Amino acid sequence: MGNCCSDYAGARTAIGGTAGSLLNQTNDAVDNFFKSRGYQGLFSQIELSFSASGLRDRDVLSKSDPIMVLYAKGKNGALEEIGRTEVVLNSLNPTWITKQTLTYHFEVVQVLVFRVYDVDTQFHNADVKILKLEEQQFLGEATCALSEIITKSDGSLTLDLLRQDSIRSGDSQKCGKLKVHAEECVGSKTTVELILRCSDLEYRDLFSKSESPLIIECYNFNTNGKHDLLGKVQTSLVELEKLYSGGQGENLFLSASVGHDSQTKVLKSRLFVDKFSENIQYTFLDYLAGGFELNFMVAIDFTVRLCPVCLREHLWIPQNVIPEDAIQFYALTSSCLPASNGNSRLPDSLHYIDPSGRPNAYQRAIVEVGEVLQFYDSDKRFPTWGFGARPIDGPVSHCFNLNGSSNYCEVEGIQGIMMAYASALLNVSLAGPTLFGPVINNAALIASQSVANGGRKYFVLLIITDGVVTDLQETKDALVKASDLPLSILIVGVGGADFKEMEILDADKGDRLESSSGRVASRDIVQFVPFRDVQSRWGNFSSASTSSRITYSIFSLHAEQKYPAKSLVM
Amino acid sequence: MSRTIEITILSAENLQENKKAIKGNTFVTVQCDGSNNELSTTKLDSGGGSYPTWNEKLVIDVPLHARFITIEVKYKTRGSSSSVGMARIPISDFIGGYVNENQLQFLSYRLWDNRVRRNGVVNISTKVKLSQQNSCSNSILSTVNGVPVTGIPVAGNGSTRVVTGIPAIWLNYQRNI
Repeated sequence: MGNCCSDYAGARTAIGGTAGSLLNQTNDAVDNFFKSRGYQGLFSQIELSFSASGLRDRDVLSKSDPIMVLYAKGKNGALEEIGRTEVVLNSLNPTWITKQTLTYHFEVVQVLVFRVYDVDTQFHNADVKILKLEEQQFLGEATCALSEIITKSDGSLTLDLLRQDSIRSGDSQKCGKLKVHAEECVGSKTTVELILRCSDLEYRDLFSKSESPLIIECYNFNTNGKHDLLGKVQTSLVELEKLYSGGQGENLFLSASVGHDSQTKVLKSRLFVDKFSENIQYTFLDYLAGGFELNFMVAIDFTVRLCPVCLREHLWIPQNVIPEDAIQFYALTSSCLPASNGNSRLPDSLHYIDPSGRPNAYQRAIVEVGEVLQFYDSDKRFPTWGFGARPIDGPVSHCFNLNGSSNYCEVEGIQGIMMAYASALLNVSLAGPTLFGPVINNAALIASQSVANGGRKYFVLLIITDGVVTDLQETKDALVKASDLPLSILIVGVGGADFKEMEILDADKGDRLESSSGRVASRDIVQFVPFRDVQSRWGNFSSASTSSRITYSIFSLHAEQKYPAKSLVM
Repeated sequence: MSRTIEITILSAENLQENKKAIKGNTFVTVQCDGSNNELSTTKLDSGGGSYPTWNEKLVIDVPLHARFITIEVKYKTRGSSSSVGMARIPISDFIGGYVNENQLQFLSYRLWDNRVRRNGVVNISTKVKLSQQNSCSNSILSTVNGVPVTGIPVAGNGSTRVVTGIPAIWLNYQRNI
């Protein structure tokens, strides 16, 4: 019988200690809870500090007096000022004291723009906040993504300051260098570990409701989910620390309603703090600083789907028509439901390469995920596969190298993926069925080889598919086997198919995947995102939930001490 | 002709009896098919309830022709013991996979009770003690075109096919022996 509970498994599972448990024992429910949730509430705050060298000397009688202004660049190209440094007087190689703090978002490319100005002498005593930048001498500008800074081993990035030459249009002149150093704020990775103990608990059958805000409650666990409140304490972390320091306990109390009044009954039961430990957690950024990389992988669906009316393949399907509507639509016109992807040369194919350059669904998914992940891989060589196609004069392949090579699967950069994809469309025939197992096994093999070689890489496989997976059990088996490896899988569904089976693979509802041999996945490594949901909201695939899944997957892998962070962070 | 495997029985999760949480006194037995019914048993966990912890290492000699290791969680009552659930683990799950078998592997398996109903999860770690003889024989286990395959190889004529899954009725059949 547990003495604590949570919403884990629908509040039917105790996650605290059990009667008679030793302090050094762990409860697997607790472990699973933390593996799946991570240390929620931790938001990475990045502190940026700045220095420059080789600035232009704009003053006649003295050196320049530089100020640095930091902007965030939005998707529409608009600049939003984040902050300014102080003015450093009479220096061409300033080190600014003022630091800027940003919130790090893994899921988006955070473009930063740095502009350096020489402040005119008459404004030296003015408040920098009200300083009009257009009245100052512009020295130079630099641009980068925040992820480019934090992935550097020393957390520093040196950028060229560029200035548009007014005489020769289109040319940029180098006007010095700007060094940006990033450091994660200590406060954003601090957690407190508590071990609580109670004495003289009273067993009560009747549940008492409380009207006051609750911070710590003690319950008698019942398997039916209706737990009995034994007592509670309203407190704060500071008070808990005092209890721990003093070795004292605090009495639990219950609130009871008597008529129209509420009475507080102080119980004999007490709460003790046996441990109060404030810890600095290793964060995602710590792993990056230790040389850890994310390696992007892509697998693209090249299948067609059989028409449910005549059970044959057809060439095309309107992209905005869902299967149920299509059956009715084509029944009225005495036509059959076409295949899903269809001939890539036809405008309504999901694989259509628009001559105007407008990306199709597959291309868009690749770009939106890849442009974020590419910053976390130093060599930017990405394994890229296709599945469900028939190469020229060959059988159907459920995992073929998109670059057309038989020896290696990597391509250079996101542009390389796009080129390989477009080329593959011209050299293979769409076929079927849709199988995920082979590509997952290949990705897992690469990840396992990296582990065996002592690599510091975590792999993210993007599978873009238009249909329902055929080898569901084999896919589950592959996923369970891969759950011990440094691999996460993002499945993006394009088109109008029914993707319910994909949600089985995405174990968001708490049921861990099981293989056909009964093996249970060590952790959840799959995230499924339907493309149409993203389109309707004009959002990104790299949503917060997706990024949190990836980063927590890294934590859950390392939490088992298979890849201890201490060996990575030097 | 055998290999030695260290199996550490770590813990179990959400054990139930008649849909109620097990109160305690649980232990685990480990048996390998083809090993003349030799049984290894852990100590009793008396206080862990439905989330017991044993952390006990068992050293098992596994014949080279063996296919399964059976792990059974039991609980002790007055003068007798009853089965909580059983997991039948293909040896190929920790030999011939992505990780070297002499490397420590952490695995979790679904337990099935006597009525073939799901009943919790058992967590173990395994490590194979390598010998010169073992190194030669490992290469023929459970790979198809270089990719590890979950399942049991099918004998005969160089076939690369494997059987996946465990027949549910087999559990009851084994129980009745």
